[in-house]
Amino acid sequence: MAKAKHPILVLAGAEQGDLRALEDYRRAGGYASLEKARKLGPGATLEQIKQAAVRGRGGAGFQMGQKASFLPSPGQAKSPIYLVVNADESEPGAFKDREIINRVPHRLIEGIQIAALAIGAERCFVYIRGEYLSEYEVLSAALAEAEAAKLVSVPILVHRGAGAYICGEETALLESLEGKRGQPRSKPPFPALVGLYNSPTLINNVETIATVPKVIELGGEAYAKIGVKDSTGTRVFSLSGDVVRGGNYELPHGTSFRELIYDCGGGIAAGRKLKAIIPGGSSSPVLPADQVDLSMDFDSVQKAGSFLGSASVIVIDERACMVQLALRIGQFYMNESCGKCTPCREGTRWIEMILRKIEQGRASHAELDLLADVCDRVLGKCLCALGDSDAMAVASYVKHFRAEFEAHIEQGGCPYGDTSSLAGVRSPVDEIYRGRIGQEAAL
Amino acid sequence: MSAPELVGGSAADRERIAHELVTVTIDGRQVQVPKGTGLVEAAAAAGVEIPVFCYEPRVGAGIGACRMCLVEIEGMPKLQTGCTTPVTDGMVVHTAGTSEQAAAGQSATMEFLLLNHPLDCPVCDKGGECALQDLSFRYGSGKTRMTFRKRSLEKPIPISPTIALDRERCIMCFRCTRFSQEVAQDEELSAVNRGALSMIATFEDEPYRGPFSGNVTELCPVGALTSTQYRFKARPWEYEQAASVCGLCPVGCNVAVQSREGRVQRVLSRNHPEVDRGWLCDKGRFSYSHLYSEERILTPRRRGVRELEELGWEQALDELEGMIERAQGEVVLALSGSETLELAYALAKIVRQGAGSDRVVLPEQAADALDPFRVPISALAEAEEIVVFEECPVLDRAPLIELWLKQARRNGAHVTRIGPSGDIQRGRGEAALACQELAEKESALGKRLRAAERAILLWSGGGGAGGCHLAALAHALGLHEKEGSGALLLPASPNARGVAEAWAAAGDENRQPRQIGLLVVSGDEAASEPQVRQLAEHARATVALTLFAGDSGEWADLVLPATGYLERSGTMRNLEGRLQRLRGATGSPARRELSWLAELAGRLGVDLPGSEAALFTELSAKVLDGISLASLGDRAPLPPRVEAQTFEAARAESPPTLLGGPLELIRYRALFSGPEVEHVPELSFQRPAAEVEISPEDADRRGISGGNEVVVRSNGTRVTLRARINAALLPGMVRVAAEHCAELARGVEVSRP
Repeated sequence: MAKAKHPILVLAGAEQGDLRALEDYRRAGGYASLEKARKLGPGATLEQIKQAAVRGRGGAGFQMGQKASFLPSPGQAKSPIYLVVNADESEPGAFKDREIINRVPHRLIEGIQIAALAIGAERCFVYIRGEYLSEYEVLSAALAEAEAAKLVSVPILVHRGAGAYICGEETALLESLEGKRGQPRSKPPFPALVGLYNSPTLINNVETIATVPKVIELGGEAYAKIGVKDSTGTRVFSLSGDVVRGGNYELPHGTSFRELIYDCGGGIAAGRKLKAIIPGGSSSPVLPADQVDLSMDFDSVQKAGSFLGSASVIVIDERACMVQLALRIGQFYMNESCGKCTPCREGTRWIEMILRKIEQGRASHAELDLLADVCDRVLGKCLCALGDSDAMAVASYVKHFRAEFEAHIEQGGCPYGDTSSLAGVRSPVDEIYRGRIGQEAAL
Repeated sequence: MSAPELVGGSAADRERIAHELVTVTIDGRQVQVPKGTGLVEAAAAAGVEIPVFCYEPRVGAGIGACRMCLVEIEGMPKLQTGCTTPVTDGMVVHTAGTSEQAAAGQSATMEFLLLNHPLDCPVCDKGGECALQDLSFRYGSGKTRMTFRKRSLEKPIPISPTIALDRERCIMCFRCTRFSQEVAQDEELSAVNRGALSMIATFEDEPYRGPFSGNVTELCPVGALTSTQYRFKARPWEYEQAASVCGLCPVGCNVAVQSREGRVQRVLSRNHPEVDRGWLCDKGRFSYSHLYSEERILTPRRRGVRELEELGWEQALDELEGMIERAQGEVVLALSGSETLELAYALAKIVRQGAGSDRVVLPEQAADALDPFRVPISALAEAEEIVVFEECPVLDRAPLIELWLKQARRNGAHVTRIGPSGDIQRGRGEAALACQELAEKESALGKRLRAAERAILLWSGGGGAGGCHLAALAHALGLHEKEGSGALLLPASPNARGVAEAWAAAGDENRQPRQIGLLVVSGDEAASEPQVRQLAEHARATVALTLFAGDSGEWADLVLPATGYLERSGTMRNLEGRLQRLRGATGSPARRELSWLAELAGRLGVDLPGSEAALFTELSAKVLDGISLASLGDRAPLPPRVEAQTFEAARAESPPTLLGGPLELIRYRALFSGPEVEHVPELSFQRPAAEVEISPEDADRRGISGGNEVVVRSNGTRVTLRARINAALLPGMVRVAAEHCAELARGVEVSRP
């Protein structure tokens, strides 16, 4: 856990142990915010959320209050308003929602109830990643306890996903929740107007919703003073990769990568040198080591050419072959492409095949240019952000570490040989693709 | 953010929006279109093409999957898909024609689509009419940068006996799955796997079994879904095409009949937006090959000592002339409702004027009582309330109507079915009573019907006289005064009313012979009627004009080869009352009826024109107010409504008591039945199973479970069938397809053997 000088909000009270039992959560002040919100009423509650300027913690960073304001008011809506909580945390590098559900499930439930009250929702849904079985059980138990204590006035349904990354995309999530094939919808219309079952729907990430009780407790204005301008409040950073103490650290926005990696995470083992940072999950473009003093807030990271995304920081040290890393990421997106739109379905596969050829040392310089061009042809042409994620991430490796790609081509193989920390870290892509579509990258 | 309200909405909303015009600029051209118009359509109105693959408004709103329609819209940072964007006032759009960014997007899409496409156009049936081929030529690069092995997959996969799937060619536009899920609502086709492994599939390799499956072969923009019957037959540019009308049911879907070297090679839709919206049922699409069945009769046949013997036309006509002479005016004509007006008229003239008899057996027909309530079929899609008096399933009588009903429900209509397995369960023969009650008694449904701006009544089965009962209800509801409201009867045969009109046009005398010296049976439909068969038993001589000798061969003394509806020219009147033109698609292996009928007429001293057009002119002058063939056009208009008159409806009677057994047998003619289906091997999987549908209550009482072999019997007839529990079926009723009924009477008992 982070040092005491930082305010702990989302995970507050769980420093010494999990707050799973209702009694424990209550002792830590739990459900007082819900009571406060009920007294405030929907309008004033929503106003507090707007003032807090909480940006979405799922990755896109859209302001929660603004998103909620697109919803029709309960009186105007022709069909019920729904609140959907996105707990389909599947981004490589991200494991913060899991921590929140495991440690403070009631804070999520309380946040749901406050948000539902603020927007006049009739029903709430939590779409939880299928692999999160124990988290599902923890959340279900907490929900049962809260229901028994008559704390849940807007019904909550917890629905388990079935293992598709794309179902974390909000409209694919809605399709899946409706029982259909998990594929994104074309936007507009946005879910705020045409969402679940064609009804107005607010979709927020677990962490975003779990922030709400603290916003109400502190007041929107006070909350907005934490963090930095346009990136208010704290963030649960998932720290992983080549770092001594990986884990979740709740820190205010504006903390630097260096503080997170070295002060909280204990730095890199055996004094190895930092090579790169993935700042916001696998989909965010990689940052070279010289960006280590960058402030971790939405705007600063964006200015540096990447995204804070889900605040999932992956540390890469000097042993890593960046071509292998790009390939591994490319494989992930290829495997997770839903197949609905052409550039993503075909492009992610093509990108992976070219990357593999480069990694194996069989590619030409022209093919490296082709790789960059294919990324460019995917970027900005897809139905949802998945294809963009692949293209942007892969292009960033080529941009920052082009010399390594060229070395593979010139030396006819990986310059790291077997010493790369990523050697052998690979998805069984060939086995899958050869079997099903007679296609393999290696010819 | 105003866009979403344009999606869906009620008909009234759409109407209101339609009257508001917005101005958009596309590639520098300004155009005014109704608010809510899609960008693809608006561009077309401005004379700019936005190419598409996945977009097909008939299967639902755009989904933005293929990315071919990427355009640049001023004020939006990213490229947008034209197919998902409704235009707004002042919108400025640059398509690939004028925007580098849009052109780059489109060229990327083209490259990605062709990346793994096999480019096997020389051996692909779609070649020459393929959207991918056409757009590749216009927007593709001509070179590939793909250096890896392309996807290779098992192919072709017969997803049903009529449809082959080539997954290598598939571009995943989801038109077929959206058709299956949204339009036909059979949920049979789906996408499986993800990403580059995505593919179209049926569940667990079960065949795509659905009455409308063939439409996916026409919807497919590439050669992924093709017709097995048409595989490798010819190229699209080699065809002669006839703009005709399907003659298999009273809907009268507009079809393009394509033939090569005198043979029909395929039947495609010709989209009459008021009739079929470009959909066909599989019977209409795939049954054409019955024309080339080896069992079809191509030469006249006479009853010999043991079986039918072939004879020449001269001899046949001598024989027929002799039969007419010997009958001495005691002639009865049994007309099929599948004949054209012209053929029915020619036969009627010969019988009435040549043989001197006015006795006829006509098919069950729609009364003209419904003419004041006439609406186009397409009005169903906009209706708020629809009531179907459904003694025979709509699907079996007029399949396309079922698709329109599904569309209506998607648009928010209440559809109430009244019948043995309806939402409101009524027994067989009670449709007229139900109709009367709805008109006279207070009910929630009645209230809704009266309140609705657009309400439509349908009558399916339960007797041709239903038109009068339905008209009485429609009149009571005031449907003649409401635009978009109306009442339609679904007759049992395609042109029943037209045939009756043709009969009336051929004479006005009424000589009714008591004996049957000669029975003239026209068409396979009439030949299969039990009533006609009984007449044949009493007739001294019988002549039949049929395609096949399955029925007529058992009792006819003379069988003359008929032509099929795809080979005929003429007109038919569909269930709406729309007069539509058939155009003989191709030469027929059998002699045209009119050629020998004219010869026979000459021998009998009857003045009979030898062409369909001349026959139409003659009968039009007598019964159709002299309308011309030309006025019918390629997509025939609906005649206007006639003035409503108040009339006293016949009182509905309770159905007669049941004899023979405690359960009432509903004998139905399944969609996939009749000689047109029986002679097409590819359609045999669609034919009705040898089963009896029974209600759970009746099944329980008899210890019957679903799948059990059971015996259905009455009056000494026993039929062994498999039991199927139908929870929607009214207790006391059982349903069996006519072809599995044998001689069962109306009352039956069902038991374990």
